Order: sequence, then C-alpha cells, then structure tokens
Amino acid sequence: MLILALDTATDVATVALARDDEVLGERASRAVRVLEDVEVLMGEADLRAADLEGIAVGTGPGSYTGLRMGLITARTLAISLGVPVAGVSTLDALAAGAPGATPVVDAKRREVFTLVESEPHCLAAADLEVEPGRAYVGDGAVRYRDLIEERGGVVPPDDAGEHVPWARHHARLARDFGPGEATDPIYLRAPDAERALRR
Amino acid sequence: MILGIETSCDETAVALVTQDGEVRSNVVASQAELHARYGGVVPEVASRRHLELVGPVLSEALERGKATLDEVEAVAVTRGPGLIGALLVGLSAAKALAWSRRLPLIPVDHLHGHVASLYLEPGALEPPFLCLLVSGGHTLLLDVRARSGYHVVGTTLDDAAGEAFDKGARLLGLGYPGGAALDRKARDGDPDAYSFPVARVPGFDFSFSGLKTALLYVVRDLPADELERRRADLAASYQHAIVRALVERTRAAAMELGGQPIAVVGGVGANSELRAALADATLAPLPLCTDNAVMIASAARYAPAIPFPQYLALDAYATAA
Ligand SMILES: [Zn+2]
Repeated sequence: MLILALDTATDVATVALARDDEVLGERASRAVRVLEDVEVLMGEADLRAADLEGIAVGTGPGSYTGLRMGLITARTLAISLGVPVAGVSTLDALAAGAPGATPVVDAKRREVFTLVESEPHCLAAADLEVEPGRAYVGDGAVRYRDLIEERGGVVPPDDAGEHVPWARHHARLARDFGPGEATDPIYLRAPDAERALRR
Repeated sequence: MILGIETSCDETAVALVTQDGEVRSNVVASQAELHARYGGVVPEVASRRHLELVGPVLSEALERGKATLDEVEAVAVTRGPGLIGALLVGLSAAKALAWSRRLPLIPVDHLHGHVASLYLEPGALEPPFLCLLVSGGHTLLLDVRARSGYHVVGTTLDDAAGEAFDKGARLLGLGYPGGAALDRKARDGDPDAYSFPVARVPGFDFSFSGLKTALLYVVRDLPADELERRRADLAASYQHAIVRALVERTRAAAMELGGQPIAVVGGVGANSELRAALADATLAPLPLCTDNAVMIASAARYAPAIPFPQYLALDAYATAA
C-alpha cells in the first residue's frame, strides 16, 4: 500500500512517502508548504498523486491552524483520489520516534500537550510530572527544558531529530483507514470564546 | 468549468461556474447561527467549522451541479483578505484538490470576488462602473475599468457599514446577525424620528463610528419602557443615516468619475432601504450579496491562473496589500 503521511500540527511540518514498511522519502518544512514537499517526494519516487492508496495524517494535538491545514489536505486528497485516511496522534508519532521518552508538544500560553497513561492531555507546563532520568521530546520539551531538567528529566539537544513528529512514524502507525471526514483533530481545548461563555 | 472555494469568514462555500459565467451550482453553509451566541464571528470557532464543512459542501456542490471532479478544469480559491486561519482551510483544500488532479490554481482576491458577482450570466455587467462594496468587513468605492480588477477610490476610516449595522442592532437588542434584524425592525419605524449625524470626511471616504456613539447616547438616555416603544423608530432612523451616507457618497463619486453607472455588491447590498434608494443601479442578485464561492469562481475567469505545480507554497493574506 502506497501511503502519503503528513503532520502539520507543530512548527516543523513533515511528510513521508511509504510503501508497506519501506520509507521512500521524508521531508520537513512548514504547514503552508506541505504539498510542495509532497510533490518533491513524489517526483523523486517517480510517482503521481493518482498512485497513492492511502493517507496517514497527524491529528495533533498542536497548533490549531497548522493541524487543520494538514487535516483538510488529507480529507480533500481523500475525496479527490478516492483513497482512505487514517489519523495518527502527533504525540504517538513523537513517542514512536523516541522509544521510552515522553512526548511534550508546546500548547502556547504556558501549557503543554502530553501523554498521560497513553492518553493526550493539555496541562500547565508547571504541572508536567517529570520522572528523573526519563527523556522528554517535542517542541514543548525544548521550550520547557529548564523546568524538565530541574526536575531530573533529560531533554535531547534542541536540534535533535527526536523533537520532530516525523511522518514516517505516521505511515507505520496508521491503522483503521476510513473516510477522511471521520478523521478528527485532537483539540483538547475549547475556543476561548466558548470558555468565556461558560464562565 | 471552474470550481470555487470561499472560506474567508463565516460562510463555507463551494461553487461550480463555467468559463462563460454560467452558474452550475452554488452551495453556502452559513455559520451565522453558530456565531450568534457569541454576538459576532469568533475566528477559532469559524476555522473549526470550516474544517468540518469543506468536504460535505464540496460534495454537495458537485452533486447539485450534476458534475464530477473530472470536469473541473481549474480550482479558484479566496486567498485574502479575511480571517487568516479560516482562509488557510480553504486554501489548503484548494491546493490539495488542484495538486491531486494536476490542475491550475487561481488565487482570488475576496473583494474582486464581490465585484465579479456582477459578471455572471445572464445579464453580466460590462465595465466601466462605480462599485459600492458594502459588507461586514468592507465599505469601499471601487472604480472598475476592466473585469480583471478595480481601483479603490473610497474606503471607511473606521467601522464598515455592516459593522455599523451589527453594532446598532446590538445596542437596540435586536440580536445577531444584526443587519437583517435591523432592516426588518426599521420597516415599522419612522426614519425621520431621530436625526443621526453621519460624519462627512474629505474625499470619497466613509466614517461610521460617530453614528454608533450617537445611537449609544440616545439609547442610554431613554427609560426602558420608552426604549421598547421607540425601538422601531430608532432602527429606522439609524438605518436611514447609514444608507443616506452610502448613497450620497456613491452618487457623488460616480458623478466625479464622469457619470459612471453604479453597482452595489456585498452583504449590506441586501439591505432593502439601500436597494430602494439605489434602484437605478445594478444590484448584485440577493443570493450573491453575502459571501459565496460563485463570485470567487467568477472572478477567477479574469485573474491569472498559476499552472500546476507552481502554487504549492502559496500563502493566504489577512489584510489587503
Ligand atoms: Zn465578503
């Protein structure tokens, strides 16, 4: 199965082209240029959009605007090409790229997205439970390096590849391919206006 | 056939228009109800909804146009101005659609789109004309010499006319969206009951912020039961002031530009008093006044197409350059 995988939920957007378990290529840029990278990969592999058989897409959590760009790209490709989509959480992809580490994505406003007992959560950076000696990866780990290291955690160097949700992992983790519309974003936070109303 | 996508604010829209300007389908999913509880468009709420709606709206546009994607020859999309997060949903969808089918992409300026709502068949308008573009986000006088563009000759220095309607409606407790509610209420009132001053600014520009303040003072000084009794009069007088300002400026500009014919486009173009006051002008069809994708696909007929795959890094813009 020829799979196009993409994740635009963090500042570094990634794309990968994979056939079964073989990664044909992988690139990184920004959410707005994600298809440009895809076009390069397809060209290198001498393939066309019509050859794709499935799309794996990062479902966040992360930047809401970036996340939506990836999801609408996946959903529209699915409609256009008649292929199924599978969602993979950006945190799961990060974790897959750094076995034994805890993924931490910057949620802005002093909050982070992370896995707590394998489930995505949004919590104040200050409330991050750090296990001494354990590794922490992702742009949230980089941002809150001081806090994590103070509590005994380990954060790889800022430019380490482990901090990026590489799309090769989405391609590998993708299960349950289905209609694009059924692949939903993981927001974890209601819009501010919504929260203001509830108050 | 051109497939148009519009997601610049709170309408998710997809349309099919032929190169000749014939509308094959026009699907608009309005989010107005969703935003009513917030009393205005909330960008994050709008963007979330666009993501949910683009796919279904696209499918419906194809179905209603009895067309398949194979018949689409170019994809047109609003690039700006508008809410950046909302625009990026539509732009990303358009790129994916165009890229996957190796089609050209035509980025469209939203304002050009409004003007191009006049270029559809039957009865397409031929430039030159002076176009009043009035909506929630814009109040512009455009000198239109060719279908490929426009030249701004007047704009608002503060609130857009549509904003003035929304704020007035809020002050009068008429709900959201305010334009239509205020228009309805005004029908039962006396437009001369109150005299609301509209600031006269030099040139062909508009200013509506003083008007809103004037209404605020009147409403604040009225006892509650009196306000209830005078609500229709207030609505009628307030609307009359906005419409008078729009009409006077528009007619003066048309005269100045050598007696050009007048056209009206945009959401406020649906206002009944404005339509009556400019009955001699070319008025955009009612269904195409508010944001839609027909106008985007229509404008695309006169905008440069970017060949496959040169558009893949294209970004959206929030404000006009
Ligand atoms: Zn508009």
